[in-house]
Amino acid sequence: MQNGSDAVPAPLGVELPLERDEVRRRFEALALPHLAHVHRLAVRLAGTAQDAEDLVQETYIKGLAAFPGLRNPERIRPWLSRILSRLVLDRHRMSPREVAVGALTELDRFSLYDLVWDEDPLPYSDNLHRDFLAQFPDDDVRSALLALPEAYRVPLVLLYTEDLSYHELAGTLGCPVGTIMSRLHRARKILERELWACAKRRGFLRSDDA
Amino acid sequence: MTVLTCAEAVTQFFAYLDRGLAGESLEDVEAHLERCLSCCDKLAFARQLDTFVRSRLPEGAMPDGLEARVRQALARAATESS
Repeated sequence: MQNGSDAVPAPLGVELPLERDEVRRRFEALALPHLAHVHRLAVRLAGTAQDAEDLVQETYIKGLAAFPGLRNPERIRPWLSRILSRLVLDRHRMSPREVAVGALTELDRFSLYDLVWDEDPLPYSDNLHRDFLAQFPDDDVRSALLALPEAYRVPLVLLYTEDLSYHELAGTLGCPVGTIMSRLHRARKILERELWACAKRRGFLRSDDA
Repeated sequence: MTVLTCAEAVTQFFAYLDRGLAGESLEDVEAHLERCLSCCDKLAFARQLDTFVRSRLPEGAMPDGLEARVRQALARAATESS
């Protein structure tokens, strides 16, 4: 029986690109079905459509590079979300938009509920707080979200989009559960503050000094 | 068990809604809510705010050709790394 003496073994340099090609095909087969989900998350985290597309491409390129080390391919969707979230945080790590520590106590005490109650901008409403919120156009809410520093926006958008627990969020973002808890609380407080400022700008309030 | 003031309880409401509380922290908030109607209203507003913001997140329809562009980027990345 012929032992394959005429089969010239491919040199190493030829085999490696073929393996890489196979890895890429496997990665594409597993990861591309989640493209719409990854893109939606990117849109929610990025300011513009172009930023979102750049983020998606970067996420997939990073994902391909790390794919051979992925232990559980069935969990590829949260894994891609994690890569995307960390890219957003890393991009802004050099120029973080942190809320000054001195302002945090004031922020923690901020209450849109109390302000709306005291101001009573819709005296004929039988559901004041719901009707107050309903006045805001979608763009105002999205601007308020984009005004959040990334350290607050990323966990909040992940919570809303992926429905992760605090422990899962801590694992995804690589920080303690306590940090996640305080950032998610403050993220909502900053949103409340932004919406109140927006209500003033739009003339939703009755008194000028509200 | 700790008896929470209203000011302490409200700082826990978002964690409560996110199912991020457990054990004694959860019991403390629930005990406060049982005896404080005003805080029940504030919790309802926190829930309303969450639902409101969540419902206004952009859906972001996929742009035409995105998958093709991602495939091209992956092919380039694979070539560059070889």
